[in-house]
Amino acid sequence: MRDIVIFSGSSNEPLVQRICQNLSLPQGKVLCKKFANGETSVQLETSVREKDVFILQSGAGNVNDYLIELLLMISACKMASARRINVIMPLFFYSRQMDMPAVKAGEIIKAKTETTTESWIAQNGMLIANLLTSAGANHIITMDLHDSQYQGFFDIPVDNLYSKQLVQYYLANFIPKNGDCVIVSPDAGGAKRAAAIADSMSLSFALVHKERRIETNEDRSMLVGDVENKDCVIVDDLVDTAGTLIKSAKLLKCNGANDIYAIVTHGLFSGEALNRMIETKLFKKIVTSNSVDQTERKKASNGMLDVLDVSRMFGEAIRRINNGESVSVIYNAKI
Amino acid sequence: MDIQEQENSMSNKDTKNNIKVLAANSHPELAKLICKKLSLPLSNVQAIQFVNNESTVVVHESLRDEDVYIIQTGCGGFEKLNDYLMELLLMIHACTQASARSITAVIPNFPYARQDRKDKSRVPISAKLIANLLTTAGCNHVITMDLHASQIQGFFSIPVDNLYAEPNVLKWIKDNYHDTNDVMMVSPDAGGAKRVASLADKLDTQFALIHKERAKANEVSRMVLVGDVKNKSCILVDDMADTCGTLCKASDILLAEGAKEVIAIVTHGIFSGNAIDRLNSSSLKKIICTNSMPLSKHVQECSILEILDISSILAEAIRRLHNGESISYLFNNVVL
Repeated sequence: MRDIVIFSGSSNEPLVQRICQNLSLPQGKVLCKKFANGETSVQLETSVREKDVFILQSGAGNVNDYLIELLLMISACKMASARRINVIMPLFFYSRQMDMPAVKAGEIIKAKTETTTESWIAQNGMLIANLLTSAGANHIITMDLHDSQYQGFFDIPVDNLYSKQLVQYYLANFIPKNGDCVIVSPDAGGAKRAAAIADSMSLSFALVHKERRIETNEDRSMLVGDVENKDCVIVDDLVDTAGTLIKSAKLLKCNGANDIYAIVTHGLFSGEALNRMIETKLFKKIVTSNSVDQTERKKASNGMLDVLDVSRMFGEAIRRINNGESVSVIYNAKI
Repeated sequence: MDIQEQENSMSNKDTKNNIKVLAANSHPELAKLICKKLSLPLSNVQAIQFVNNESTVVVHESLRDEDVYIIQTGCGGFEKLNDYLMELLLMIHACTQASARSITAVIPNFPYARQDRKDKSRVPISAKLIANLLTTAGCNHVITMDLHASQIQGFFSIPVDNLYAEPNVLKWIKDNYHDTNDVMMVSPDAGGAKRVASLADKLDTQFALIHKERAKANEVSRMVLVGDVKNKSCILVDDMADTCGTLCKASDILLAEGAKEVIAIVTHGIFSGNAIDRLNSSSLKKIICTNSMPLSKHVQECSILEILDISSILAEAIRRLHNGESISYLFNNVVL
């Protein structure tokens, strides 16, 4: 590996350690700290002059702190004459375009005054892309982008890796009766992703369709596909508060499903989401990847949470990018 | 550009547009005071935070072709500072999406102002990064106050108006000390000497300086007083008070050198860590602080803390900016 330095932000250091181990590289040293007044400070201890720098930071937890820290690290590398700055975001920051928050009981959204204009919610994706580019990033590497359109927000190359092989690997090795299970997408947006996995493993496929009536603000979900007496595997790219997953699992149980597995690439598990999922007792296993640091949650989950390792995938991507080889080969490789 | 186009752009510029004052979550009280001074309602634009800590902005009214002013100060302490910074960027970006004519960020206390140089190897110039981020988000103009180093204005490729709390500080001193011969202005460090000298000139008082040798950031080591403060009322002046270590120690030294009493006047009261405890047990008689930061909670906890309202300066700057009038009047005159 030529002239390469890999730095870790404070969001997911275990993943970087694994990547460095896989690549037999020393991890770049960086001092990240926060002053008492809340300002983040960054100091690189490894020289980056004319180096190919990789910085890994994941967008979960204290996202704003991590994002500012990432921007500062990029800026520090740029000021220290790095040749190229590659930013690895296993989970992209602000990756979901948020919906207008629903007005629920206890949730106070400022009432509309007597204006004629419709309220709307700002879309932040473009801003994040611009901030990263303006700080000095030259290349973005991410995984399972929630909206693949995000790639178009950048004027710099974006490599979007897929966790498909990891999911296939788990299906083939850890789910009994894997010849006869149903792959379920919990919403229409993820149908393509789930269908691709079902196709590649010759499994049947089902979809939960969410219908939100605006007038009554009531959610009605229905299941498209047959799951009776079958094991179901819900596949999604991101779990946050887990509301959708729990709702889908309930629906599947109502339709006579046997065991339910949930395989989700990015496990944010905001608040007590994981505990809530476990307490429903609907899931046989919850599977996520270490794109977000899961060390603490895995310990607390009593074996309910399985964590897939993405470090080899990112390690290989780093190696190929550094060598100037094609990255698309990874999309189809066997793990 | 042909004539037709030119006329279009001209007429567009002449159209009457309004001031819209937007408040992000860091300091709503200040935004309300500014709106009151401008006799305007606060715009119905809201920054909210989701459970996953991501923020976003909800816009309830039209901002098309208006002059937008976003009030967000660099505060929030250990937990919230970066959240508020992101909120500001998101709000600026939302305003560009809403087709605002101009977007001005009003940032009384500019965050990361102290990380303004490369004092070690391989550190970022964070203040410069923040300047770039603001411009990238779509900001056209920045209003700030008592920048830690006025060179930060040069980090921006957009206009920056650095306002001064000085006229209001002068007024406060004149109101409270009738005999200025008795008063000694003191700078707690060499960096602030210029600021204090200017105040002393305008008040026609003498000034002293405390020279400090610093071992580590946020840790004061040895302080030496330059000047005679015997039997004088000393006024320590600085641009910000963070951990308050410097101020408290300076006060002790001044009293040891025979000062009659010591008060402190600072523009930005950051008060991080155990600053409030330190102030409560310090030898300072009083600390005057502007409301560039939200301090209502601190006032209850700290009996010697007194607030100086600077919302009128910001409101007048907004009004003048909107009307295309000169701002420099505010540097030497108190507005009510």
